[in-house]
Amino acid sequence: MTTKLNENELWLLSFYRTSEISGALFFGRLCKTLKSSAVQHDMSKHFSDEAHHAWLWTDCIAKLKAQPLKLADSYQDQYISAAGLPANIMEILAITHVFEKRVIRQYALHSRVPDLQPEIKETLSAIMQDERWHLEWVKNALQSMENEFGKENIEQALQRFLQADEEVYAKTMKEHEERVHGLGILAGR
Amino acid sequence: MLDRSAVKFKIASVLQVQPELIVEEAILNELVVDSFILVDLVIELQEEFSCRLNQENLKSVRTVGDLIQQLELHRFAAA
Repeated sequence: MTTKLNENELWLLSFYRTSEISGALFFGRLCKTLKSSAVQHDMSKHFSDEAHHAWLWTDCIAKLKAQPLKLADSYQDQYISAAGLPANIMEILAITHVFEKRVIRQYALHSRVPDLQPEIKETLSAIMQDERWHLEWVKNALQSMENEFGKENIEQALQRFLQADEEVYAKTMKEHEERVHGLGILAGR
Repeated sequence: MLDRSAVKFKIASVLQVQPELIVEEAILNELVVDSFILVDLVIELQEEFSCRLNQENLKSVRTVGDLIQQLELHRFAAA
Protein backbone atom coordinates (compact mmCIF):
# COMPACT_ATOMS: atom_id res chain seq x y z
CA MET A 1 0.00 0.00 0.00
CA THR A 2 1.53 3.30 -1.06
CA THR A 3 0.22 6.39 0.62
CA LYS A 4 -0.81 9.42 -1.42
CA LEU A 5 0.13 11.71 1.46
CA ASN A 6 3.54 13.10 2.24
CA GLU A 7 4.73 13.37 5.85
CA ASN A 8 3.58 16.99 6.28
CA GLU A 9 0.14 16.34 4.81
CA LEU A 10 -0.39 13.32 7.05
CA TRP A 11 0.65 15.32 10.09
CA LEU A 12 -1.75 18.17 9.29
CA LEU A 13 -4.75 15.91 8.58
CA SER A 14 -3.99 14.02 11.81
CA PHE A 15 -3.80 17.37 13.64
CA TYR A 16 -7.24 18.32 12.32
CA ARG A 17 -8.58 14.91 13.30
CA THR A 18 -7.20 15.19 16.85
CA SER A 19 -8.73 18.67 17.25
CA GLU A 20 -12.13 17.42 16.09
CA ILE A 21 -11.96 14.51 18.55
CA SER A 22 -11.03 16.87 21.41
CA GLY A 23 -13.94 19.16 20.49
CA ALA A 24 -16.39 16.25 20.37
CA LEU A 25 -15.26 14.90 23.75
CA PHE A 26 -15.37 18.32 25.38
CA PHE A 27 -18.83 19.24 24.10
CA GLY A 28 -20.10 15.72 24.73
CA ARG A 29 -19.15 15.99 28.40
CA LEU A 30 -20.70 19.43 28.65
CA CYS A 31 -23.94 18.21 27.07
CA LYS A 32 -24.19 15.68 29.89
CA THR A 33 -23.58 18.36 32.49
CA LEU A 34 -25.84 21.18 31.29
CA LYS A 35 -29.46 21.40 32.31
CA SER A 36 -32.03 21.15 29.53
CA SER A 37 -32.04 24.38 27.49
CA ALA A 38 -31.70 25.77 23.96
CA VAL A 39 -27.92 25.85 24.50
CA GLN A 40 -27.91 22.18 25.46
CA HIS A 41 -29.95 21.37 22.34
CA ASP A 42 -27.64 23.18 19.91
CA MET A 43 -24.51 22.04 21.71
CA SER A 44 -25.65 18.41 21.27
CA LYS A 45 -25.77 18.97 17.51
CA HIS A 46 -22.38 20.70 17.66
CA PHE A 47 -20.91 17.76 19.55
CA SER A 48 -22.29 15.25 17.05
CA ASP A 49 -20.87 17.34 14.17
CA GLU A 50 -17.41 17.36 15.73
CA ALA A 51 -17.50 13.60 16.15
CA HIS A 52 -18.61 13.26 12.53
CA HIS A 53 -15.76 15.53 11.40
CA ALA A 54 -13.28 13.31 13.24
CA TRP A 55 -14.72 10.40 11.27
CA LEU A 56 -14.49 12.36 7.99
CA TRP A 57 -10.77 13.02 8.59
CA THR A 58 -10.18 9.42 9.61
CA ASP A 59 -11.89 8.23 6.44
CA CYS A 60 -10.12 10.79 4.27
CA ILE A 61 -6.72 9.62 5.57
CA ALA A 62 -7.73 6.00 4.93
CA LYS A 63 -8.84 6.81 1.37
CA LEU A 64 -5.41 8.31 0.82
CA LYS A 65 -3.95 5.01 1.99
CA ALA A 66 -2.44 6.20 5.24
CA GLN A 67 -3.09 5.86 8.97
CA PRO A 68 -3.72 8.78 11.34
CA LEU A 69 -0.81 9.82 13.53
CA LYS A 70 -1.33 9.69 17.26
CA LEU A 71 -0.75 13.28 18.40
CA ALA A 72 -0.54 14.20 22.07
CA ASP A 73 -2.02 17.69 22.25
CA SER A 74 -4.80 19.31 20.33
CA TYR A 75 -5.00 22.96 19.36
CA GLN A 76 -7.69 23.46 22.02
CA ASP A 77 -5.32 22.35 24.81
CA GLN A 78 -3.07 25.28 24.00
CA TYR A 79 -6.06 27.65 24.02
CA ILE A 80 -6.83 26.97 27.64
CA SER A 81 -3.17 27.41 28.60
CA ALA A 82 -3.06 30.79 26.86
CA ALA A 83 -6.51 32.12 27.71
CA GLY A 84 -7.08 30.64 31.16
CA LEU A 85 -9.93 28.43 32.21
CA PRO A 86 -13.37 29.47 30.93
CA ALA A 87 -15.44 29.44 34.10
CA ASN A 88 -19.06 29.58 32.95
CA ILE A 89 -21.18 28.75 29.93
CA MET A 90 -20.88 32.26 28.46
CA GLU A 91 -17.08 32.09 28.62
CA ILE A 92 -17.14 28.63 27.04
CA LEU A 93 -19.27 29.92 24.17
CA ALA A 94 -17.03 32.98 23.76
CA ILE A 95 -13.91 30.83 23.43
CA THR A 96 -15.83 28.52 21.07
CA HIS A 97 -16.84 31.43 18.85
CA VAL A 98 -13.23 32.60 18.52
CA PHE A 99 -12.03 29.04 17.93
CA GLU A 100 -14.65 28.28 15.26
CA LYS A 101 -13.69 31.42 13.34
CA ARG A 102 -10.08 30.25 13.39
CA VAL A 103 -11.09 26.79 12.15
CA ILE A 104 -13.04 28.22 9.21
CA ARG A 105 -10.14 30.47 8.23
CA GLN A 106 -7.66 27.60 8.46
CA TYR A 107 -9.83 25.21 6.45
CA ALA A 108 -10.49 27.92 3.84
CA LEU A 109 -6.75 28.55 3.50
CA HIS A 110 -6.11 24.84 3.12
CA SER A 111 -8.83 24.42 0.51
CA ARG A 112 -7.06 27.00 -1.68
CA VAL A 113 -3.80 25.02 -1.84
CA PRO A 114 -3.03 24.30 -5.51
CA ASP A 115 -3.38 20.67 -6.70
CA LEU A 116 -5.06 19.58 -3.47
CA GLN A 117 -6.17 15.93 -3.52
CA PRO A 118 -9.93 15.73 -4.21
CA GLU A 119 -10.46 13.64 -1.04
CA ILE A 120 -9.05 16.46 1.10
CA LYS A 121 -10.93 19.17 -0.77
CA GLU A 122 -14.25 17.33 -0.36
CA THR A 123 -13.65 16.78 3.35
CA LEU A 124 -12.76 20.43 3.93
CA SER A 125 -15.84 21.54 2.03
CA ALA A 126 -18.19 19.22 3.96
CA ILE A 127 -16.80 20.35 7.31
CA MET A 128 -16.92 24.05 6.46
CA GLN A 129 -20.67 23.81 5.85
CA ASP A 130 -21.17 22.68 9.45
CA GLU A 131 -18.69 25.18 10.84
CA ARG A 132 -20.76 28.10 9.50
CA TRP A 133 -23.74 26.84 11.47
CA HIS A 134 -21.54 26.43 14.56
CA LEU A 135 -20.58 30.11 14.38
CA GLU A 136 -24.21 31.12 13.93
CA TRP A 137 -25.67 29.21 16.86
CA VAL A 138 -22.89 30.26 19.21
CA LYS A 139 -23.29 33.92 18.19
CA ASN A 140 -27.07 33.72 18.75
CA ALA A 141 -26.60 31.99 22.10
CA LEU A 142 -24.17 34.69 23.25
CA GLN A 143 -26.68 37.37 22.23
CA SER A 144 -29.39 35.61 24.20
CA MET A 145 -27.13 35.75 27.29
CA GLU A 146 -26.70 39.52 27.26
CA ASN A 147 -29.30 40.08 30.00
CA GLU A 148 -27.86 37.41 32.22
CA PHE A 149 -24.13 38.11 31.83
CA GLY A 150 -24.06 41.68 30.50
CA LYS A 151 -23.17 42.70 26.95
CA GLU A 152 -19.94 44.35 28.10
CA ASN A 153 -18.75 41.20 29.90
CA ILE A 154 -19.45 39.12 26.80
CA GLU A 155 -17.50 41.53 24.62
CA GLN A 156 -14.61 41.54 27.10
CA ALA A 157 -14.53 37.73 27.12
CA LEU A 158 -14.51 37.65 23.30
CA GLN A 159 -11.64 40.15 23.21
CA ARG A 160 -9.65 38.21 25.79
CA PHE A 161 -10.04 34.95 23.90
CA LEU A 162 -9.32 36.63 20.56
CA GLN A 163 -6.01 37.83 21.93
CA ALA A 164 -5.21 34.31 23.16
CA ASP A 165 -6.20 32.88 19.77
CA GLU A 166 -3.75 35.15 17.97
CA GLU A 167 -0.97 34.13 20.35
CA VAL A 168 -1.69 30.41 20.01
CA TYR A 169 -2.04 30.58 16.23
CA ALA A 170 1.23 32.50 15.85
CA LYS A 171 2.98 30.02 18.16
CA THR A 172 1.56 27.00 16.32
CA MET A 173 2.54 28.41 12.91
CA LYS A 174 6.05 29.12 14.17
CA GLU A 175 6.43 25.65 15.68
CA HIS A 176 5.25 23.96 12.51
CA GLU A 177 6.52 26.54 10.01
CA GLU A 178 8.38 24.01 7.91
CA ARG A 179 5.42 21.66 7.57
CA VAL A 180 2.89 24.40 6.83
CA HIS A 181 5.00 26.21 4.25
CA GLY A 182 5.86 22.87 2.69
CA LEU A 183 2.14 22.43 2.02
CA GLY A 184 1.71 25.88 0.51
CA ILE A 185 -0.57 27.07 3.32
CA LEU A 186 0.26 30.65 4.18
CA ALA A 187 -0.57 31.96 7.61
CA GLY A 188 -3.57 34.25 7.57
CA ARG A 189 -5.31 36.10 10.35
CA MET B 1 -24.51 27.58 53.74
CA LEU B 2 -22.90 25.30 51.18
CA ASP B 3 -22.54 21.67 52.20
CA ARG B 4 -18.78 21.24 51.76
CA SER B 5 -18.99 17.45 52.06
CA ALA B 6 -21.56 17.33 49.26
CA VAL B 7 -19.29 19.42 47.04
CA LYS B 8 -16.33 17.14 47.75
CA PHE B 9 -18.45 14.09 47.04
CA LYS B 10 -19.52 15.63 43.73
CA ILE B 11 -15.90 16.44 42.81
CA ALA B 12 -14.94 12.81 43.51
CA SER B 13 -17.86 11.60 41.42
CA VAL B 14 -17.02 13.81 38.40
CA LEU B 15 -13.32 12.95 38.56
CA GLN B 16 -14.06 9.31 39.30
CA VAL B 17 -11.64 9.17 42.23
CA GLN B 18 -11.98 7.93 45.81
CA PRO B 19 -13.80 10.54 47.97
CA GLU B 20 -10.96 10.30 50.55
CA LEU B 21 -8.66 11.99 48.05
CA ILE B 22 -10.81 15.09 47.91
CA VAL B 23 -9.49 17.01 50.91
CA GLU B 24 -9.43 20.79 51.28
CA GLU B 25 -5.67 20.97 50.68
CA ALA B 26 -5.68 18.82 47.53
CA ILE B 27 -4.20 20.69 44.54
CA LEU B 28 -6.70 20.74 41.68
CA ASN B 29 -4.09 20.53 38.93
CA GLU B 30 -2.76 17.36 40.52
CA LEU B 31 -6.23 15.80 40.72
CA VAL B 32 -7.14 16.76 37.14
CA VAL B 33 -4.50 16.51 34.47
CA ASP B 34 -6.86 17.28 31.56
CA SER B 35 -7.84 20.96 31.58
CA PHE B 36 -11.04 20.19 29.64
CA ILE B 37 -12.20 17.98 32.51
CA LEU B 38 -11.42 20.79 34.94
CA VAL B 39 -13.67 23.12 32.90
CA ASP B 40 -16.40 20.47 32.95
CA LEU B 41 -15.99 20.03 36.72
CA VAL B 42 -16.35 23.76 37.38
CA ILE B 43 -19.49 23.94 35.24
CA GLU B 44 -20.98 20.85 36.86
CA LEU B 45 -20.42 22.25 40.37
CA GLN B 46 -22.07 25.54 39.41
CA GLU B 47 -25.09 23.72 37.96
CA GLU B 48 -25.42 21.44 40.97
CA PHE B 49 -24.95 24.03 43.70
CA SER B 50 -26.55 27.07 42.01
CA CYS B 51 -23.44 29.24 41.78
CA ARG B 52 -22.05 31.52 39.10
CA LEU B 53 -18.28 31.93 38.71
CA ASN B 54 -16.25 33.81 36.15
CA GLN B 55 -12.65 33.57 35.04
CA GLU B 56 -11.57 36.24 37.52
CA ASN B 57 -12.97 34.20 40.44
CA LEU B 58 -10.82 31.22 39.44
CA LYS B 59 -7.53 33.11 39.26
CA SER B 60 -6.67 32.55 42.91
CA VAL B 61 -8.01 28.98 43.05
CA ARG B 62 -5.36 26.29 43.61
CA THR B 63 -6.92 23.81 45.98
CA VAL B 64 -10.25 22.07 46.52
CA GLY B 65 -10.80 24.34 49.53
CA ASP B 66 -10.18 27.47 47.41
CA LEU B 67 -12.72 26.27 44.85
CA ILE B 68 -15.37 25.53 47.49
CA GLN B 69 -14.78 28.99 48.96
CA GLN B 70 -15.43 30.62 45.58
CA LEU B 71 -18.59 28.55 45.12
CA GLU B 72 -19.78 29.68 48.54
CA LEU B 73 -19.11 33.33 47.72
CA HIS B 74 -20.94 33.17 44.40
CA ARG B 75 -24.16 31.34 45.14
CA PHE B 76 -27.35 32.67 43.58
CA ALA B 77 -29.35 34.89 45.91
CA ALA B 78 -32.33 32.58 45.54
CA ALA B 79 -30.36 29.45 46.46
